[in-house]
Amino acid sequence: MTFSEIIENIKLAYDSMRSNKVRSFLASLGVVIGISTVILMGWILSGLQSAMDDTFKIIGVDVIYIDKYDWAGGKKWKETRNRKDITLEQADDFMSLIQTAETAFPTIRDWAGTIKYENNNYKGISILGTTHHHGLTPAGETSQGRYFTPFEEDSKANVVVIGSKVASSIFPNNDALGKDIKIQGHKFMIVGVIKKQGTMMLDFIDNQVFLPLGSFIKVFGKNGRSVSIGVKAGGEEKLDVIREESRGIMRTIRNLHPSEEDDFSINETKAFESQTAQIKLYVWGVGIGMTVLSFIVGIIGIMNIMFVSVTERTKEIGIRKAIGAKSRSILFQVISEATALCIVGALISLFICSAIAYSVATILPKFVPQAEFLKPYLPMELLIIASLVSLFVGVLAGLLPALRAARLDPVEALRFE
Amino acid sequence: MENKIIIDIKNISKIYQMGEEKVFALRDVSLNICKNEYVAIMGPSGSGKSTLMNILGCLDTPTAGHYMFNENDVSAMDDNDLAEIRNKEIGFVFQTFNLLPRATATKNVELPLVYSGMPSADRLERALKTLENVGLADRAEHKPNELSGGQRQRVAIARALVTTPSIILADEPTGNLDSKTGEEIMKLFNDLWKKGNTIILVTHEEDIALHAGRIIRLRDGLIESDYINHKQVKYD
Ligand SMILES: Nc1ncnc2c1ncn2[C@@H]1O[C@H](COP(=O)(O)OP(=O)(O)O)[C@@H](O)[C@H]1O
Ligand SMILES: [Mg+2]
Repeated sequence: MTFSEIIENIKLAYDSMRSNKVRSFLASLGVVIGISTVILMGWILSGLQSAMDDTFKIIGVDVIYIDKYDWAGGKKWKETRNRKDITLEQADDFMSLIQTAETAFPTIRDWAGTIKYENNNYKGISILGTTHHHGLTPAGETSQGRYFTPFEEDSKANVVVIGSKVASSIFPNNDALGKDIKIQGHKFMIVGVIKKQGTMMLDFIDNQVFLPLGSFIKVFGKNGRSVSIGVKAGGEEKLDVIREESRGIMRTIRNLHPSEEDDFSINETKAFESQTAQIKLYVWGVGIGMTVLSFIVGIIGIMNIMFVSVTERTKEIGIRKAIGAKSRSILFQVISEATALCIVGALISLFICSAIAYSVATILPKFVPQAEFLKPYLPMELLIIASLVSLFVGVLAGLLPALRAARLDPVEALRFE
Repeated sequence: MENKIIIDIKNISKIYQMGEEKVFALRDVSLNICKNEYVAIMGPSGSGKSTLMNILGCLDTPTAGHYMFNENDVSAMDDNDLAEIRNKEIGFVFQTFNLLPRATATKNVELPLVYSGMPSADRLERALKTLENVGLADRAEHKPNELSGGQRQRVAIARALVTTPSIILADEPTGNLDSKTGEEIMKLFNDLWKKGNTIILVTHEEDIALHAGRIIRLRDGLIESDYINHKQVKYD
């Protein structure tokens, strides 16, 4: 087959589509739906993935949290509840024994605190006491003001660094710095606002405030609260070493006999990842189901149209063969036409999906803040996948009708009316 | 040169199996046709004229027998080779014209050149020139439904000629035309023959057959007679 013949086939496919606009459109509808599903699904997942990645980066993929409780819920709730609390003294011992960590910080927490500003109460905010070391990790990076200082920590100053969600709900005018809020009746001055970090269901990490550890104890007391120790490894590759070292130190501090199990948990951001992996799996499952279904419909639709088209053009095929078209030329012609239908379907899909992506990503977050992770454009790799898929579908859908056309006997075909 | 044999068939049979029954469309037909001959194949309906023409044109293959075309053994060729022979060596003209309805006259004439892989600029030039030769230069951009029957047949003849084939095979080319238009087409065939073309014409009309220099009569798949036509219409 020569180049000029290929060009001619592409022109033919185009002509044939133009002369059967409605039919071509209906035929490619299944493909449009199929490819649109793939693209939109990929768009949502890629938005989700990059939002997660950003969040994990901030929480710290190289940070482990030594805690009484197990985040992933791997251990039975009852079993972890009966563990002894990790005390402040134990946390202090740990901090002085750990060697290889980049930094470590104890945190102590009141899960559902209330903050009062002027005459309004803001409930459900997590209040944490920690050290200035926390301010040195990405999770403590401020967008306004600063983290509290070692001096404020030592003097148990009434200063607070607040999360971005707390800041936006109490101070919609973005003027939180320097304001006094009340925690448990104690006045605290806001010295910093932490950068926005969370997305989707992880946005609780923006709904926290941080006090110097001593100030926290002053307000809440220290009994009945288990300390959680964050340990930053300073690189994912150092996690294994840090985990083992931390476990050893904790076992020593907690006086565990070698035969006893750990009475603490070492948590990692991977716990979140396995949760989101499940969501992603679910989205993929539904998406793949829909995609396969619509592609089957699409392939059958196009195959059907191509069979009709081949039958209608039996005489034409006879003429082409009589004047010297080889079977493979006819085969290629029909497959080209089916593929052209699919490519048009893919183009329509890209157009529709771009419009959807742009409008949803710009409008929806105004009403549903959780939708913020959506990007207003389609990822490049999706466009490539969509084009390849449409080529594949076209060839697949065109193959059987093309074989029938190619095998037509020229004498019989010429006699067809 | 004058006597170079283009077509040489020996003991060609074509048998159609219709259920239990065998239909002999051709029985043991042998014949030679030389370069620049003008042959009419005659016979009543069902005598095997079209079958013979389809075999000579490599559209169909015989059930038995040998076929040498330009000293090539056609009997041994596969579909691909046959398509190539049809494309390069044979020009078909049909009773019902068989043009592509959506394509212009030029595009129709270009079609065989598409399949021989000629670049599109050369194709266009050749097609226009051939249309001019059949007197249709001013209808090049018309579609078949914008042309009269005679004009359509001229487009079909241009399409047959455009590859400069060794033979032109015409199956009842005037069958769908009124007698005046038919006469014009026969004049065109006469011109082509005088320019050196080899023409095989299938017809059941005596006055059309008289344009040929040799007349072969078929009956029930057999050659009934094969003779020189001394009353050939030559338009001198
Ligand atoms: N595809 C076919 N199947 C069965 N019989 C056929 C077929 N083609 C032709 N025949 C038979 O072969 C004989 C010759 O047909 P044909 O060559 O078309 O005759 P003509 O062109 O002289 O009218 C006829 O009896 C016809 O019925
Ligand atoms: Mg016939």
